[in-house]
Amino acid sequence: MKPNRRVTPYLFLMPAMAVFGFAVLFPVIMTFAYSFTEWNGYGAMTFVGIDNYVRAAGDTIFRDSFTHVLIYIAATILLEVVVGLILAGLVSVKRRGSLWFRVAIFTPVMLPMVVVAVLWAFVYNNDFGLLNAALQNFGLEDLQRVWLGDTSTALLAVSVVSGWVYAGFYMTIFYAAFNQVPAEVIEAARLDGAGEWQLFRRVKVPMIRNAITVALLLCITGGFQGFDLFYVMTNGGPYGATEIPTTYLVKSVFTFGNVGYGSAMAVVLTAVVVGLGLIFTRVNREKPEGARR
Amino acid sequence: MSTPVRATRSVQSARRPAPNRSPIGRIPDLLFTLSLIAIAVVFFFPMLWMVFSSFKSNSAIFSTPFALPTEVDFSRWVEAWEIGHIGQYALNSAIVTGASVFGILLFGAAAAFAFSRYRFRGRNLLMGLLALGLLLPLQSYFIAQSTMFTQLAITDTRWALIIPYTAMGLPLAVYLLKVYLDALPDELFEAARIDGASDLRVFGSIALPLLRPGLATVAIFSALSSWNEFLLALLYIQDDALKTIPTGLLAFSSRYVTDYGLLFSALSIVTLPMIVIYIVFNKQIVEGITAGSVK
Repeated sequence: MKPNRRVTPYLFLMPAMAVFGFAVLFPVIMTFAYSFTEWNGYGAMTFVGIDNYVRAAGDTIFRDSFTHVLIYIAATILLEVVVGLILAGLVSVKRRGSLWFRVAIFTPVMLPMVVVAVLWAFVYNNDFGLLNAALQNFGLEDLQRVWLGDTSTALLAVSVVSGWVYAGFYMTIFYAAFNQVPAEVIEAARLDGAGEWQLFRRVKVPMIRNAITVALLLCITGGFQGFDLFYVMTNGGPYGATEIPTTYLVKSVFTFGNVGYGSAMAVVLTAVVVGLGLIFTRVNREKPEGARR
Repeated sequence: MSTPVRATRSVQSARRPAPNRSPIGRIPDLLFTLSLIAIAVVFFFPMLWMVFSSFKSNSAIFSTPFALPTEVDFSRWVEAWEIGHIGQYALNSAIVTGASVFGILLFGAAAAFAFSRYRFRGRNLLMGLLALGLLLPLQSYFIAQSTMFTQLAITDTRWALIIPYTAMGLPLAVYLLKVYLDALPDELFEAARIDGASDLRVFGSIALPLLRPGLATVAIFSALSSWNEFLLALLYIQDDALKTIPTGLLAFSSRYVTDYGLLFSALSIVTLPMIVIYIVFNKQIVEGITAGSVK
């Protein structure tokens, strides 16, 4: 369609581009610029070149934060994507009557992460928490822990909460994808004598490969951006065992006033997330379709 | 509380009787159903425990964590609602979410319309910039955004949340709405044009009404992400009167750390409406959230 006036398309675009430019694009550029300075947010700003990046490379807390987030991502791939896939497989065996099952599993996705985090801090509470109480009921007192206060379990404990929330989310994506698998294909496999498990492994899962790739992308890039659960449940503790990049850079900037250094870390994190996103889009050209259906 | 019971029943009654099977052959089927129920109960249990505990005293929470409450007494809920300012937080969340969703829908639809229906200079560049927004994490801009908002004295106003929530929602909204618009035939718009409709008219009376399903989808996932957003709300809003549910609840939980019954009541108050909303709109929500997951 031809516009009546040449400026018309730009007028339609202006509000969206203005808000997006103001609140996202401009700050992205400024964050990048800050990363080459030493600045506390209000005083004098000094240009320091790539010093902040050099510092980040040698900062063991920053490096450990990446190790932690990688462990967290590995755990969530298992607890969210793999569990989600298995749940979707179970539900899709019998399609009818599964609504209530899906309601029970999906509800946590709707809740604010803060609510989830506060609730689970109670589940893990060592005085009256559900988990320790359950262990006691089954006579497994030996396994009782101060789950969030123990350096060896805290990171895993947070990952489990993330799994509790998102397993239902991925189940929903996979369930929708399974429903797209043509009925004839399933029937044909059944006639050839495939059992439910073989059907799942050899037919259904391979046919939703696209959806699985998208889910992995979401889980990995989402994992790098994790914050809410960590901030509320442990805020990096105990002894830095759950410090992840975002909790660390929020502390650096907003507690210690190192805007320049925090920005450099933010740039590194952004490069990782955007880089992974681009690689995945390359690998999986039809990415949007996979997730939407 | 009746939820899992009903879940159990509907899962069972929906089971098709397997033809040509002996009673023994049905055992795996029954086991299968039972295991589904068991999984659902395990998943749902923390929420049940939350609601049960909200009716209990501190000592009962400690001594009998698995027991049903002895009485269903909503007085703690009322107390949490009043002294916890939960009504105020919910109102703030509603205002911020409403304004952001409105902005995302209106600006997003206008931009999608321009990208889909017109060919103009700079189109690819501008689309590319917006597409970048699908990949960029919050961490890439929130530091500079916060210093900017401080200098412009936007922090501690509702705008400090409405503006970024709108900006964050736009890329995906434009992308999805453009897909919807691209699917519409050109003749529709040309015909209106021949009848003398202005560009604004074509947008308002042809594009927007046809976009309604797309707008509904976008509204759902934008609303959920604004309602639940935490990091920016934590950084930009210190004034308790302006806090949204996530930050408000956090402030509340650090104020009443040891009054567990009260905290469980507050959590329940925030959680139950979401469950009800999900049960009522589950089709649309699932569609909206999975569409939103493109990001």
